[in-house]
Amino acid sequence: MSSKELEESLSELQVGKRQVTHGENGENKSVQNDMSEGEVQVSCFTEDLHDVTLHFQIVKFSKQIYAWIGCNSAKLGHLYAAATTRPNNIVSVTSILGGTSDNTGSSIARRLVLKTGLNIVVACNIPKDSPMLEATAERKLTERLASLGYFRPREI
Amino acid sequence: MAAQFPVAHKSFSLDIKGNKTDIVICKYDDNFLVMVTQIGCMGTILHARKEEGVSTEPTFHVAVIFGKRDEPFLAACARQLIENISSCGSTRPLVLSLGLKDHSPGTMKEIIYAVMENRLW
Repeated sequence: MSSKELEESLSELQVGKRQVTHGENGENKSVQNDMSEGEVQVSCFTEDLHDVTLHFQIVKFSKQIYAWIGCNSAKLGHLYAAATTRPNNIVSVTSILGGTSDNTGSSIARRLVLKTGLNIVVACNIPKDSPMLEATAERKLTERLASLGYFRPREI
Repeated sequence: MAAQFPVAHKSFSLDIKGNKTDIVICKYDDNFLVMVTQIGCMGTILHARKEEGVSTEPTFHVAVIFGKRDEPFLAACARQLIENISSCGSTRPLVLSLGLKDHSPGTMKEIIYAVMENRLW
């Protein structure tokens, strides 16, 4: 195959980029799988469980994801940052605001990074001592992150 | 009837000195969150709050809680914004994240104008 033919077939392969719109409350944005694109995307959704309403907000930057989980209220809660660090890409998590001995958000942040490999900041106001709620919130968030294409779920 | 999402937010993009700057402003029940980025991540995170005091003039506490602690203009930016929040009548604290390529006062001013124009307080 000559280089000219190669160039032509490569240009045909280019994926068209979808338009991303900036917007106000409550809209789910369409997402490009191309993480190098510099657009910031905000998605908000709510899950109603039997006795509790969980609100989720996901803001995707090109190299980081911010997630907020609200349990019945719209308070920011405690803020945690987690990422893979040296050595061996182990996951480190730190509390940024509030929540020193409180573990709810920090374990969510840590497991999110373990599952997704992304750099994550989590804000969470789920009360302490509710492991079922914490697990449900984490599962819903991970499902949404996967469906938005922010990471590919690994086969374990 | 679907209830509206309880957290109001605005996200927009502008060009500051040739750098594409994305800004997201969120209003929570007990906080405002402003994220400004030119580098694809949140960068340095600051916390600013109004102090309860006896004197007539309000005082504010501004601190870096994650990231660069040696850039005074980042704290100045947070200080300007918390003062603006206070003068608009709100006592809520502010969490501000600044992921910037350039920390000059000119950039800070443009960011402050842009945030104030699109404020949720």
